[in-house]
Amino acid sequence: MEHKAVYYTAEEILKRGKNDIPSELQSGMSLVYSSPATLAYNSPGAEGFGVKRAGLSVPESVMLIVAPGCCGRNTSLISSMPEEMSEPDLVTGRHLNKIPDAVREVLEFLRDNRRKIPKAVMICITCVDALLGTDMDRVCRKAEDALAEGEFKGVKVRPCYMYALTREGRRPPMVHVRQTIYSLLEPMQKDAHSVNIIGGFAPLENTELIEYLKLAGIRNIRQISTCRTYEEFLQMASANFNIVIDPEVRAAAEDMNKNLNIPYIELTRVYSTDKISSQYKAFASVTGIDIVDSEEKAEADEAIARLKKAYPDLVFNIGECTNANAFELALSLTRMGFKVDEIYAALAPENFVYVKNLALLSPDTKIYCNMEPTMLYYRISQSKAHVTVGKDAKFYCPDIPNVAWNQDTRPFGYQGVRDLMNKVFEALKEAKA
Amino acid sequence: MKGLRKALTPFAPDQSGASGVLYSMGALTVIIDAGGCTGNVCGFDEPRWHDTRSAVFSAGLRDMDAILGRDELLASKIKLAAERIDTSFVAVVGTPVPATIGTDYKALKKLIGSRINIPVIAVPTNGMKLYNEGEKEAYKALIDEFAAEDPSDSKEQIVLGMTPLTYGKDHIDISLDDIRNIRGAGKLIAASSSGIDACMYLGREFEIVSPVYRNSIPEGIKGRTLVCHDEVVGKTLRDAGVDCDIATFFKLHDMVKQDGDKKITEEDEFIEMVRKGGYDTVAADICLKELVPDYDGSWVDLKCFAISGRT
Repeated sequence: MEHKAVYYTAEEILKRGKNDIPSELQSGMSLVYSSPATLAYNSPGAEGFGVKRAGLSVPESVMLIVAPGCCGRNTSLISSMPEEMSEPDLVTGRHLNKIPDAVREVLEFLRDNRRKIPKAVMICITCVDALLGTDMDRVCRKAEDALAEGEFKGVKVRPCYMYALTREGRRPPMVHVRQTIYSLLEPMQKDAHSVNIIGGFAPLENTELIEYLKLAGIRNIRQISTCRTYEEFLQMASANFNIVIDPEVRAAAEDMNKNLNIPYIELTRVYSTDKISSQYKAFASVTGIDIVDSEEKAEADEAIARLKKAYPDLVFNIGECTNANAFELALSLTRMGFKVDEIYAALAPENFVYVKNLALLSPDTKIYCNMEPTMLYYRISQSKAHVTVGKDAKFYCPDIPNVAWNQDTRPFGYQGVRDLMNKVFEALKEAKA
Repeated sequence: MKGLRKALTPFAPDQSGASGVLYSMGALTVIIDAGGCTGNVCGFDEPRWHDTRSAVFSAGLRDMDAILGRDELLASKIKLAAERIDTSFVAVVGTPVPATIGTDYKALKKLIGSRINIPVIAVPTNGMKLYNEGEKEAYKALIDEFAAEDPSDSKEQIVLGMTPLTYGKDHIDISLDDIRNIRGAGKLIAASSSGIDACMYLGREFEIVSPVYRNSIPEGIKGRTLVCHDEVVGKTLRDAGVDCDIATFFKLHDMVKQDGDKKITEEDEFIEMVRKGGYDTVAADICLKELVPDYDGSWVDLKCFAISGRT
C-alpha cells in the first residue's frame, strides 16, 4: 500500500472544471481526518469562536449546555453550566421539562455566590435534540415566562443550536447562532451617526475601516465584542446601517433589516491591495462617505515590497485555519510575485474561481484537503516552502517558519495585508537568526 | 438538580475511553458522529494526539445521513479509507447520534465486514456514560474479536486499564498482539476500573493495583484522607498504608469498596463527603477544590485527566 497523501494540482483542478471537483477535496465526501486544523472546523463548538463562545459573546450572558456529557466536555475554558443528559432523558425527552428549573437554579447559584445576575441565559443544545426535533424556541419561551415574576424578571432565555449535523445545511450552527444573538435586539430610534460592524465575535484589529467611518462623522461604531454591557449591546439596534464582514452573519443581517429596519452592506476580507481599493470605492459610493485610501494602500504595498526585496523567491504553504480564505490568499500572494507550493483546504465550488486564476499563474500548486483520510500520510519532505501561514500548515510542516495568523481579532483591509507581510518578514528573520 | 453541573465541566465520556484504548492498536477508528465528538476526542481527551498520529476519523455524518440511516454510505466511506490506510482492523465507536437513531451495531459490523477484508469491531458507546465504561466496552470488543483461546506467545504480565484518561503521561499502551495473547499472559494487572472489568470479562485471576502509586505515596498525604480518583488509585494508596476513604465519580466495584467508600455522581455528593468526613487531607484533582472553597485541611493534587483534562 502506498502511503501517500492525496493532492491535485491547480492545473488538474482547472482541467476538471467547477462541476467536477475531486471528491477528495470536498467536505462531506469521505471520513474526516482529525488534523488539528479540522478539529476546529469539525466541531462547531470545539475551538475558536464555535457556538459556545459565540453565544457567550452577548455581554452579561451565561450559557446552560443541555446535552450528553460528551458535548460539554470541551468547555473547561469558558463559562458554561452543563446539564448532563441521561439515556432516559433521551428516550423520554424529559430533559426539556427540566430546563426552566435548571435556568432558575443557575440564576440562584450565581446570586448565592454573589456573582452578577446575567441579562441573558443562552441554552446550548446539540445533535441529539436536532434528531429529536426539539422546538427549543418554545422551551426557551417557557423558561423565560417562568422568570417573568420575581427577582429574575426580564432575564432573556435564547437557544444556541450546536448542531454539527447541519454544518453544510441551509442554516449551519454558526449562521444560526449569529441570528440568535442579534434577535435579542429590539427596535429603537435610529441614530444617523451609528454603524455596526457585524460578523465577528472579537473586534476588528486596528484597521483603517474604523478610521474611514470616524472621518465620515460616524460617532458610534459598535461591534458586539466591544460592547461592555448588555445595555450597550442593545444600542446596536439604533444603527443606521450594518457592515457585514463575514458571510455567516448575512442571515442575521437580513433579519435585522426586516425587523429593525437596518440595511446592510457586505465587505469581504481579501489580500489583494487592488481589490481592497476597489471594494472601498464601491463602499464609499454606496454609503455616500468619502474614503481616501492612498496612504494605507501605499503602506501595504510597501510591506509587500519589503518582503519581496528581502526574500525574492519566497515559497509559501497555506492552510485554512487562518484569518483568510486560503485560496484567495494563495492567489493574492502569487500575484504579488511569491510562490505557493501547497494549500491545505477543502475546496468548495465558490472558491473554484480562485483556483482557476491560480492555475494560470501557478499550475503546479498542490491542493490537499485537511479532511481527507490520507492526510495521515502527509510528509513534510515533499514541500519546498520557506514559510507557512495557518495553524494547520504548522502541523504539517513543523520545521518551517510559521505565521499562524489565526488570532481571534480580525485583520481586515490594508491593515491585514500590511501586518501579514510584516509577520512573515519577522518569522523569516527570526528563523534566520 | 440531578445532572446539573455548576462548577465542574463534564468528565471524559465513554467514546473518549473507547478511543483511548484503541489508539495504540493500529486500528482505523471511526467515530460515528458529525464531527464534534471526534473533535473532543482528538482535540481534548487524547493527549497522545499531538505527538503520535493515529488513524482516528469522524464519520462526518450529516442530518439526512442520520435521519435516513445511511449505513451503506458509511460503509462505503470506511471501505474507501481502508483501501488507502494501512490498518489491521476497523473499529467503529458510537456517540449520541447513533444512540438516538438506534443504530444496530451488530448489523453495522456485519455490513462493514462484508465490504472489507480485515476484522471489524463495534464499540456501542453513547456519549452519556463515563470514560471507564467506554474503555470496558472497547476491551470487551477487542477480546471477543482477537483474543486467542490458546495463544502461541505469552507475556509475563499485561496491565489493563492504564490509559491516559486515568494516568495522563504515566499511561502504558498495550498492543493488538497483547490482546491476541492475553489469555496466555503470566499475570494480569487491573490498573483502573476498566481494567478490573476487562479482567473479569476474561474470567482470569488478576491483581488490582496501580503501578504508579504502588510504591509511591504522593507527598503531603497525612492523617485521615479522602482519595477522589479512580477506585484502583484509591485502593493502591490504601494498601500502601494510607488511612483513606475512596470517593469516585467513576465505578466502584464491590471487590474494592469498603465502609466509607462511595461512588458519587453529583457535585453535591462530593461536597458533602468533604464537609462531613472530617478529613485531614483530600487527595484529588485540584479542579475539585472549587467545590469546597471553605475546606481548610491539606489538599494533594492527584491529577486525573478524565476529570480536568490535565496531564
